[in-house]
Amino acid sequence: MIFLSRTLPVIVALCFGVLGIGIYYVPHAAAQNIERELALWLRIVFAFSYLLGLYSLLNLHWQRIRQRVEGWGYSAMVYAGFGLMMLFVIYNDGQGPFAPQAEGTAAENGYQWLFEYVQVACSSTMFSILAFFIASAAYRTFRARTPEAALLLVAAIVVMLGRVPIGAYISDYVPAAADWLLNVPNLAAKRGILLGVSLGAIATSLRIIFGIERSYLGGGDE
Amino acid sequence: MIQWLMNIDRRIIFVFVFLGVALPLLANVFLPIRPTRDVIAVYDQLEKVAQDEGVVLLSFSYGASTEPEMQPMARAILRHCFSRNIKVVAVCLWPEAPGLAQQVLEEIGDEFGKTYGVDYAFLGFKPGNFAVVLNMGQDFRDAFPQDNWGTPLEDLALMRDVRTLRDFDFVFDLAAGDSIEFWWIPYGQEKYGFPFAGGCTAVMAPDLFPFLQSGQMVGLLGGLAGAAEYETLVGRQDKATAGMSAQSMAHLIIVIFIIFGNMAFFLSRRR
Repeated sequence: MIFLSRTLPVIVALCFGVLGIGIYYVPHAAAQNIERELALWLRIVFAFSYLLGLYSLLNLHWQRIRQRVEGWGYSAMVYAGFGLMMLFVIYNDGQGPFAPQAEGTAAENGYQWLFEYVQVACSSTMFSILAFFIASAAYRTFRARTPEAALLLVAAIVVMLGRVPIGAYISDYVPAAADWLLNVPNLAAKRGILLGVSLGAIATSLRIIFGIERSYLGGGDE
Repeated sequence: MIQWLMNIDRRIIFVFVFLGVALPLLANVFLPIRPTRDVIAVYDQLEKVAQDEGVVLLSFSYGASTEPEMQPMARAILRHCFSRNIKVVAVCLWPEAPGLAQQVLEEIGDEFGKTYGVDYAFLGFKPGNFAVVLNMGQDFRDAFPQDNWGTPLEDLALMRDVRTLRDFDFVFDLAAGDSIEFWWIPYGQEKYGFPFAGGCTAVMAPDLFPFLQSGQMVGLLGGLAGAAEYETLVGRQDKATAGMSAQSMAHLIIVIFIIFGNMAFFLSRRR
């Protein structure tokens, strides 16, 4: 059992890890064919992850409904929304669930109509509400308590004004200063972070490939 | 008074932000927009593709929540492509994207009288994130054997000569997540070497500047501002340009509140 739950996954990770790195840099047709096959496998695994996500979401909300926890009505709405969309997907304009998606604009197709006039409208509204919270949070937290905070505050104001047309109305220097902040200090910091994260990812990948890091198997090292 | 200024009720701030956003939109105020270098670079690249009568791959990697920021960008890019007779192939790498892509393709396609399958094609969504990009580079038909409605690619005149990502003259990713930096650049542009650019939400744009400097990206459209700049270049003011006046007012209001808060903070410290 230990072989199946511990040793075999480590061997699989080692083989596919080394293979994955190797074939990325080898232009030979045989290597390219293996890469092509692996990419197809990966896509199949990704497709299953959607099923897993769906099960997880529905199970979580089912438990909330079953236990009548506070706000369980929202969980019922998840089921109602999911059921309604599924209904239109299965109906598929009379063609059934196994035919490709039915053609038609929102006016002709129920699924497309629900997407455009319910899902897009609701999601966009939720995202837009962020603007109100950001405005309130910025007012409350952006205080020049230290020289570093003052520097951050000035940079934020310059970029906020410089990235919208009103900045150029105030002065031509505002967009120029915003561009400089984004292209010089921001770029330097981002590049440093990116290099650090990439080196960290390489180190972690090597640890997984060579079996040093085994926490992904569950239960930590034995 | 100082205490009040330091702790203004958030509902007052909400009212100001609401008015700042709503009034310019209702009054249809259009502020003049100056295109920036990275947006002009995308425009110039598409002009080059138009001269070569090339094909562009447009990747939709965003969902419903970012529709107000990303859809105007897609609209402006498509207007440019169709006005210059550039062929467009659209794919989706986000599960929510097909509805949005279909909407904008049909709208702009009809506006310019374009024929499906000849001037543009819509291949729908495939799961797999970076693996789909890798697959498209190896064999485009492996990744997308048929279009969104089940028509084999061989039956679409536009797709007959497309075998891999290298057959596209330009690839443009509309992204609300990490598809530019973690899917398209490492597994697409870097591996197969095609001209690549992207459009993203404003909050993501600073993360992508290193790829512009390294030359892995030809240009970048950052947020609604990027879309508005592109609308200016295309010569058709639309939702992004209208939105910029609202965004300008919102930013100005936030800045004014921040200044008020800091003035009160310093006065209270002096006391």
